[in-house]
Amino acid sequence: MNARRVAVTGIGVVSPLGSDLAAFRARLIAGESAAAPVSLFDASGFATRIAAQVRAEDFTAVPATARDRKIGFGLTAARNAVADAQAHGAPLARTLPRGAAMGIGLELFSMPDMLRYLAVPEVPAGEHPLGFLQTPSDLCLHLVSREHGLTLPPLLHVSACAASTDAIGMAFRMVRDGEAAWMLAGGTDSMINPMGLGGFCKIQAMTTRNHEPARASRPFDRERDGFLLGEGAGMLVLEEWEAARARGARIHAELLGYGASFDAFGISDPHPEGEGARLAMQRALADAGIEPGEVAHINAHGTSTRKNDTVETLAIHRLFGAHARRLTVNATKSMIGHLISASGAVELAAQILCGVAPDGAPGVAHPTINLDNPDPECDLDYVAQAARPLAGPVFLKNSFGFGGQNASLAVRLNWSSP
Amino acid sequence: MSDPLSLTLDPPLALTALATHCGDAADDATLAQAALAHMKSPKMKKFMGRQDLIAVLVAGRAVAAAGLDTARLARRAGLYLAVGSIPFELDDVKAIAAHSVREGAFSCEAFAREGIEQVNPLLTFRCLPNMPAFHVSLNLGMQGSYFVTHPGAGQAWLALSRAARDLAAGRIDSALVGAVADQSNHLVDFRMRHQFGATGGLPNTGAMLCLERAADAAARGAPVLAQLTALDIRYTPHDPLDLAAAQPVEALGAAAPWFALEAALAAEERAFEQQATCRDGITARATWRRA
Repeated sequence: MNARRVAVTGIGVVSPLGSDLAAFRARLIAGESAAAPVSLFDASGFATRIAAQVRAEDFTAVPATARDRKIGFGLTAARNAVADAQAHGAPLARTLPRGAAMGIGLELFSMPDMLRYLAVPEVPAGEHPLGFLQTPSDLCLHLVSREHGLTLPPLLHVSACAASTDAIGMAFRMVRDGEAAWMLAGGTDSMINPMGLGGFCKIQAMTTRNHEPARASRPFDRERDGFLLGEGAGMLVLEEWEAARARGARIHAELLGYGASFDAFGISDPHPEGEGARLAMQRALADAGIEPGEVAHINAHGTSTRKNDTVETLAIHRLFGAHARRLTVNATKSMIGHLISASGAVELAAQILCGVAPDGAPGVAHPTINLDNPDPECDLDYVAQAARPLAGPVFLKNSFGFGGQNASLAVRLNWSSP
Repeated sequence: MSDPLSLTLDPPLALTALATHCGDAADDATLAQAALAHMKSPKMKKFMGRQDLIAVLVAGRAVAAAGLDTARLARRAGLYLAVGSIPFELDDVKAIAAHSVREGAFSCEAFAREGIEQVNPLLTFRCLPNMPAFHVSLNLGMQGSYFVTHPGAGQAWLALSRAARDLAAGRIDSALVGAVADQSNHLVDFRMRHQFGATGGLPNTGAMLCLERAADAAARGAPVLAQLTALDIRYTPHDPLDLAAAQPVEALGAAAPWFALEAALAAEERAFEQQATCRDGITARATWRRA
């Protein structure tokens, strides 16, 4: 059942650092921050007034649901992923079972719409019912399936910050187990709106370093004070390895394993010993059939919150033992912020792109920027400030959700690619 | 054209419990009291919305009926849960709105400085779609795998499909497969009518199935209500913005398939087939037989 290998042959991102893959890779390796004052609405009254926003030119909005940016992000990233998968070799097979799995963010309401609704609880004339007030989360998934002719039942994941990693993990298993020939998997989210920003301010989860946006997201640093909100989408084409080779596709990486776990501990706090995080990573390794010593690098969840970063560090120590000191670890959120449901997919794409040079040679771990003074409780090798060559092709991608849902993926970079 | 997610289960999977809940807002006090019986700490109730309470209630009842112990639930059990639309409470929303207006229009500054301050931070916890799964995991001590999905019966079928796959592959030993929907909420009711074509008020519902490999259920002497022998789920890609072409919404929400299963079990037929056409382009067929 586990004989089939799974290749990543297409990558599409819509990120605060752009949607062009080459430029995205270059900016990550250069250590650029996408943080800036919020410009999508008047955020002057909030405790946090900065975020990492997607530029308008980096995605195509859906007119009927234009208020919900994540739909346009998701569709654009899916389009880009399919184009990337077909940039080399024959087109993707359209006669074999194929589907979509996505982690998609909350159905938040627009406050101006809410005021209209409270005055008259009807859909205003000229408005699409699915565009007024709240847009269903699954709408983007069905639009993606329709646009790309994906005929397997689509899977929607709502496991908070772990959602898109879960979507990729489940899609990986569907290809590996022979349910699908290929899958389009990832996630999309935008909570940079008054309700989203207000909700996160209310629970004091975000950085308030408004005076220096580019230095606000600082995972594992002693002075970190919360996460920077980001937005965007990441989609991958996952394809059965031999079929991908047969059609002449460029293979970016191989997905090896997926693990998930519940913390079963606190509503907002991670398990203090990182038990859920450890279990997710351990299960990903077991699913992949590899030993901890084979892992060279971890792309961390790394939120820049006080609790996550220390607990994730502890979980890595507990699972890897002495090998933890030999691992490199980085946090993409230091540059693009926290993309919530889309974070895992975009960060996975980031590390795959950086991890393989354009000529197929071994690549780098992108830097964790703003890590100026490491927290004494965060004592791993976090690739601070500057990119560094990877010591090996196998890495883990971690995503840990609010509410204790944890996901981890084991990945091997394809350094043999032409 | 569609491709099926089909699975023939040989050996079959054993359904060792099925618990359901159906009520309306008038039943809230009873619901909360019943859910408390399955909670580790009553203090957590302040974090819980209606969907969370229903999830804990049906999960607790199902686990008790199946006789699953905490050791079996801890590491080798998976939770596969479909959650309905997010139930923002109208009183909270009205309080925010009343303090977010300047000169007759929405003011983002007023919202930030006064509007959002009108609600308790706990509002966030009561609204997230992954919270019902969190509360089930916490109260049952589950640290296994999960699939938390949304919003309707089609995804509930897919939750069953993923659970069946994971059981058949040996990745887990027990699966809790369920669905919850708070549909008496004002905003959810608006969505059901205007977006999903519902024609009347809908109940609050929940259901939870316990599934195991038949040999495992037999080995521990568990009660077996039925055996799942085959599953076939298909999808027709469609334009979700074309509301005229959509199927009617399921009145019992994401839990609709499991109420239908409960009714079929009550009919005492030796074998039966469940068929469903869901509003999101998903069709499903499950074949069950009595143990």
